Amino acid sequence: MSIKLNIIDLPKDDYTGGKSTLCPGCGHDQISTVIINSAWENGLKPEKIAKMSGIGCSSKTPAYFLGKSHGFNTVHGRMPAVTTGAAMGNRDLTFIAVSGDGDSASIGIGQFIHAVRRNLDMVYVLENNGVYGLTKGQYSATAVKGSKKKKGAVNKHQPIDLCKLAVNLGCTFVARSFSGSKKQLTALMKAAMSHRGFALIDVISPCVTFNNNDESLRSYTYVKDNDVELHAYDYIPTYSPIEGVEVPEGEYHDITLFDGSTLRLETIGSDHDPTDAVAAMAALHNAEMEDKHVTGLLYFDPDTSTAIEDQCLVSTPLADVPDEVMRPSAASLEVLNTRFRGKD
Amino acid sequence: MERIVNDFQLNIATANGTGSQSANLILLHTMFGMGVPVSGKNLFPSNISGLPTWYILRVSDRGYQAPGDRTHIQIVMNKATWEDDVADCLPGTLILFNEDVKMPVDRDDCFVIGVPMTKMARGLNPKLGRMISNMIYVGLLAEILELNQDKLNDAIALQFKGKARAIELNVEAVNLGRAFINENVDTAEIPYRIESRDVDDDEFLVEGNEAVALGSHYGGVGLLCWYPITPSSSLAEALIAYIPEIRTDENGDHLCAVIQAEDELAAAGMVVGGGWSGIRAMTATSGPGISLMSEFIGLAYFAEIPSVIWDINRTGPSTGLPTRTQQGDLTMLYEASHGDTTHPVLIPGSMEECFEYGWKAFDIAERLQSLVFGFSDLDLGMNRWACKGFEYPETPMDRGKVLRTQAELDAIENYGRYRDVDGDGIPYRTLPGSGLDPILYRGTGHDEDGIYSEKPEVYQALMMRLKRKMDNARTWLPQPVLREEAEKEVGIIYYGSMENSIQEIDDILEEEIGRKVSQCRVRSLPLSPVVEQFIRDHETVIVLEINRDGQLYGILRRELPNELIPKVHSAAYSDGLPPRARHYSELIKGVLKEVGE
Repeated sequence: MSIKLNIIDLPKDDYTGGKSTLCPGCGHDQISTVIINSAWENGLKPEKIAKMSGIGCSSKTPAYFLGKSHGFNTVHGRMPAVTTGAAMGNRDLTFIAVSGDGDSASIGIGQFIHAVRRNLDMVYVLENNGVYGLTKGQYSATAVKGSKKKKGAVNKHQPIDLCKLAVNLGCTFVARSFSGSKKQLTALMKAAMSHRGFALIDVISPCVTFNNNDESLRSYTYVKDNDVELHAYDYIPTYSPIEGVEVPEGEYHDITLFDGSTLRLETIGSDHDPTDAVAAMAALHNAEMEDKHVTGLLYFDPDTSTAIEDQCLVSTPLADVPDEVMRPSAASLEVLNTRFRGKD
Repeated sequence: MERIVNDFQLNIATANGTGSQSANLILLHTMFGMGVPVSGKNLFPSNISGLPTWYILRVSDRGYQAPGDRTHIQIVMNKATWEDDVADCLPGTLILFNEDVKMPVDRDDCFVIGVPMTKMARGLNPKLGRMISNMIYVGLLAEILELNQDKLNDAIALQFKGKARAIELNVEAVNLGRAFINENVDTAEIPYRIESRDVDDDEFLVEGNEAVALGSHYGGVGLLCWYPITPSSSLAEALIAYIPEIRTDENGDHLCAVIQAEDELAAAGMVVGGGWSGIRAMTATSGPGISLMSEFIGLAYFAEIPSVIWDINRTGPSTGLPTRTQQGDLTMLYEASHGDTTHPVLIPGSMEECFEYGWKAFDIAERLQSLVFGFSDLDLGMNRWACKGFEYPETPMDRGKVLRTQAELDAIENYGRYRDVDGDGIPYRTLPGSGLDPILYRGTGHDEDGIYSEKPEVYQALMMRLKRKMDNARTWLPQPVLREEAEKEVGIIYYGSMENSIQEIDDILEEEIGRKVSQCRVRSLPLSPVVEQFIRDHETVIVLEINRDGQLYGILRRELPNELIPKVHSAAYSDGLPPRARHYSELIKGVLKEVGE
């Protein structure tokens, strides 16, 4: 039996990682699988990917995918800053970052906001479960008001909705999905990997250990029953698809991504326009009012310049520019010395 | 009256934001242009406009650069500090004051000259009266001190580059000041004069922050991330200002990225990210920023990521005195972040060294695969100092042990990211994007291959290797500068901006108690073995520092062999102002008295 290869002739094994040490059944592992599949199907070169994360259960997962890519498991909530610096150093890398709700909605919310503001070119996968797992189950800032833990207290605070925040900030790609919706999540992930700019995918990823009693609004059973799909769509790369792409039926709506590939949205019972920020906010608000999660591509803006583009850097990654070019010439220093001496 | 030539101090009291800084710099550059050793200290408030500012000009043929024991000429312009400024004058002081402020100057024991500076200035330009009144005192001083008018014109032209109308107006104001003295004052009664000296054509005045910024460019910096904080902001701004001229390619595209971060923590994170990606990345900050950056400083140390942070020390703790100077961050830098850590600290004491360590910090960071601090302070960073010129780096960039090809990787037997292949404590690394040995970098415990590990022996071996790496650097980091006397009785250890006071301290000790003291200027941490030898060679050693606790003294006590500790003493003092020789000479005398020397 021959091994299936992708567009750049690599087997999927070249995209896998180490064995997960998360709890069996954790939604995060499903997301890792989606990242592996999406990178493979998109034909990304593993060595040109950088995996970034902060601290938390979610942030451990870069060890479990893309074993042939460099990665950096940084410090709590500060992954965006490290990614920003690395992006300045090597503009040819595709940054795939994983973060959690503790990382992004609490300790690192400032860095999240500013990475969005700069439109840093990266995929930002938020593995959102409403709890702190590694420290054994404290509420996070995304926990829904009224959520109840297995043993005890009710969460009394309003949740921070990072999709709403991102839309407000002008984030150029805002999506929400569910770790159990493999098809939708894969389509969004592949689109995010092709997006030029900051792509947020807020993935509701239930914690099987600390947040999966039926009363919790982030539990697997609750989300399964109350998940409203905004669109069903599929992702069609410009090169031939590796696996059979399901041709959408009925009406559809194409969005051309930066790399020329097309994101096709099938409108099922909705006329949501992903370029309309107000509509995105309304969809998020309405779902929240009805205690539901709206999933799909909520907002998309392909035109805003990225953090790297704003720098007017040379096209070669700075890390690859020869030392003799990075260091100005001796003659240039003589010019400066002469000017300081007032003799120019 | 006997003349006092090139040996006095001026204090100019004005309000912040009135344009006095231009006038004061013009005075500084005029005297410097006449070849006179002069230094200027700007004592400014943490404020945009209105609060008091003092500018101290020390003129000294002996080259003394720190503020001296007393003020000889006091310019009084600021109503808010008027009474204190007048009262603080010692008998015999020449007081020039702005009559139009309508405040009294009752000092029969001083030589007092009231001048209607605001009226005179308004006569030239009604709208800019307040600003131009500062140039009136420049004219008064020019006439009294006999400043060379050509040099004064040069200084005005330098200050108002190309702005013909401003230059003309300021020259007119100076002429008005000169005329006033001519008509109203018998200058024979005033002893102070400036006389030209041989001009060193190579010398110029520059701020330490600009010197570091330029040095960083000649180190090939590829990323500056910063968050504005006094007194480091001018370093970042100078660095940015030079990019269009010296850091673009033939298309005008930039070779250095700049990000104004959301806070210092993010700035440090970006530096680590840049270092990880293979470029030379840096930030500039002050003490409060270092406190925030500590988390990333530990990550850079443990994950072994080349990074450079410049600390332009201001007076702490907390917000402290944001516009005053100190050497209060030394211990923090050396050991920043939790757990056992050590970071190299480069400590320049001159403009030439500010430039040199600007580029060298990157060589050291990449060679050690660690975070390196540059340690300057407000005094060095924001005041203008004489410089003989910047020297181009004599060696190509030292990029350290980076494996860039498969062949290089294959040549190493049993390669692992954190394996000490060469026995010097420094491992080899590969870069993201290269496809060579891709690993997941982490701040968690790791083995020699970079794989997560909590094994006791793995952790302990890693920590000991990191220590070995730093200890090995003691012999090749910038070595101390020694000036040893034959007596070998008293040795003084000092560092950084104290360099500008040490000659005066040395002269006071020789003149007043007949002691010739040796000197050892420390230029880096961890300390060189040369420092230990210096201590062995002297009977009594005193460590001078601009802080309260004697921070270098504390480091010495911890690292020196026990038998040497009793002969080392601390002379630490900090009040926010630049180090005055008198404070330290008195502390040294006290120590010598105590030990019966």
